[in-house]
Amino acid sequence: MDKNEKLEFDVIVVGAGLSGSAAAAIAARGGLKVAIVERGQNPGSKNYFGGALYTHSLLEIYPDLWDRKPPLERPVTETGFWFLSKDGMVKTTVQGGKVNSQPIDAYVALRAKFDAWWAEQAQKEGAFIIPKTLVVDFIRENGKVVGVKTDRAQGEIYAPVVIITEGVNNLLTQKLGLAKHDIQGDSAALAVKQLISLPAATINARFGLTDNDHGVAMSVMGDVSMGLPGLGFMYTGVDCVSVGVGVTLEALREAHIKPYELLQRYMNHPMIAPLLAGGRLMEYGAHIIPEGGWKDMPQLFTDGVLVAGDAASMVNALHWEGTNMAIVAGKCAAETAIEAHQKKDFSAQGLSSYRARLDQRFIMKDLHQYRNLSHFLKTHPDFMAIYPTFLNDALGMFFTGFGKPKGQLYKDILKSLTNRRPLLKAVGDIVAFGRTIIGI
Amino acid sequence: MFHALVSIKQVPDTTNIRIDPETNNLIRQGVPTILNPYDAHAVAAAVEWKRKLGGKVTIITMGPPAAVTSLRECIEMGADRAILISARQFAGADTWATSYVLAEVVKAVHEKDPIDLVFFGKQAIDGDTAQVGPGVAVRMDLPVVSYAVKIREVNLEERYVIIERKTESRNEVIKTSLPTALTCEKDIAEIPYASLPDLVYSLRYEPEVWTAESPITFEPALLGLKGSPTTVFKTGTPEKHAAGEVIKTAELGVDGVVKAALDKILGVEGMASMLGVQK
Repeated sequence: MDKNEKLEFDVIVVGAGLSGSAAAAIAARGGLKVAIVERGQNPGSKNYFGGALYTHSLLEIYPDLWDRKPPLERPVTETGFWFLSKDGMVKTTVQGGKVNSQPIDAYVALRAKFDAWWAEQAQKEGAFIIPKTLVVDFIRENGKVVGVKTDRAQGEIYAPVVIITEGVNNLLTQKLGLAKHDIQGDSAALAVKQLISLPAATINARFGLTDNDHGVAMSVMGDVSMGLPGLGFMYTGVDCVSVGVGVTLEALREAHIKPYELLQRYMNHPMIAPLLAGGRLMEYGAHIIPEGGWKDMPQLFTDGVLVAGDAASMVNALHWEGTNMAIVAGKCAAETAIEAHQKKDFSAQGLSSYRARLDQRFIMKDLHQYRNLSHFLKTHPDFMAIYPTFLNDALGMFFTGFGKPKGQLYKDILKSLTNRRPLLKAVGDIVAFGRTIIGI
Repeated sequence: MFHALVSIKQVPDTTNIRIDPETNNLIRQGVPTILNPYDAHAVAAAVEWKRKLGGKVTIITMGPPAAVTSLRECIEMGADRAILISARQFAGADTWATSYVLAEVVKAVHEKDPIDLVFFGKQAIDGDTAQVGPGVAVRMDLPVVSYAVKIREVNLEERYVIIERKTESRNEVIKTSLPTALTCEKDIAEIPYASLPDLVYSLRYEPEVWTAESPITFEPALLGLKGSPTTVFKTGTPEKHAAGEVIKTAELGVDGVVKAALDKILGVEGMASMLGVQK
């Protein structure tokens, strides 16, 4: 290759995360010449999550997934909610049955390992990865995007389609005017996590797992966030446990709480500490999660550009879906790029089928259905403070009410609710929450 | 035309390394490998002088096929040619056997394309021996300037080089004839941020592979574990330093703390005379 050759591709993908490498793989498989530009030392070095990946999305990109030996940790064979009070916990979890049927729906993963592998698969499909390089701007001709400018000397790369999968800090999406505003404090959560190393046998014993092919993924509510709008989590790797908590930036700011203090408090909770006892801290990190969903969604395409993943606010905060949306949206973007090349039409009009593809999938359907969720949490700031604790009180009383007249027991339980929230308001909360998740 | 050769090593990233507390061995599993940092600065210096004088930079390394990544990084910085010396027979070499192989390769490159400067990092961060550079120089009968911090001048007409080297107490300025070997500190040059075309070129670059048979041959008895006289009996972790003493202004006041600190420093044997002060 000549060093003076103009760098030209059919598609440029910005960012080698889950969405970017999925888009690159599909586009390359479709015969396009693809470049992925990644700012990290290598793919995976800048990526972070809770977390678990969803099998359906991985299989959608690689039907022969298991032959490729993905670096996954444990399958999720028990999942659900833990509701924390100050010193207790109610668990509503599900295991066996549907959760334990093949293929298992979710796998715990570590992104540094997984994303490196994920990008390598795209490379095998023919995509060309340019690491250690930051995309800072676009090349425009007649107002249309025809490539990107990077932070390196002679740093221009040309392509008629640019797929932006730059992640939550979507500066490029903003630069194009597709995103109307920067990250929003009331809908973006700051999640902090620690990865705690423990022997696999210890994890199996503490979490009641048969062997290393069983694992848990838990959403934790209540005292974990000190009642602030946010969630904690706990995931088991093979010989490590991911434990973390995420709360909206605005709530943290208003409550004057530092996120790592929240995490420390959670890890010291009497119900949680024994699970982690004796573990060694392997890594800690933080990441912003764009939980605004529908409300914060940018315009998804323009002349020569498609946006997918966190950059496009594709996160369903209640169901912990984000990675699967990112991957499927990356695929939709790649299919759109392939079609645009066939029709030789890279205008916004030509790329508009991207929206149609997303509309047909769970992505737009779910984001639309849950569009009021962040508004609900904003207008019901005590929701996470009241109900998880009430649940602990109620079940605690119910299961210890021996030798008491049961009429009194139910009155006491009701009182523990009405002490916190008048009955009518509580009913209103539940109805409002129900309406929010049904999406009416 | 200036021709520099840089000998590099791919090493485990020791900032990520852990020691098994029971066996005292390095846990290498899952530890990323990097271009030895001192070598990276040596490559940067070689490229810097190539750009000043015109010419080329050749990189060599002995290692497993995965060392290609480090060679590509050197190409990214602006080196022109890279040679991977890789074969089963080389495995298990100590610094003695390694410097034999490297010296033979440097000689072979030099025969076809005379070399002016042979660069090394001052040491590799995994073994910390600082022996390979001088070892190669001696085998080639080259002058060697170790711990180089600056190349002041390279004169290709009059065939000399002026190099500053660091010693414990002062810097020395050395003028020596070309060709010369030098081992480099990080100060020798800053790592450049490559242009995009250089980066892309490096990502696609395939280095030449030299084996034990081709294009040159070696004395089989001098290779790998067989050719290595070094035996490691035991490795261990150094004792941890005790925590430092804390002197608080809240208790002694600012003047008190300064005085206490000075007393501590001057109390170290030989310190007062070294600093030229009286107690």
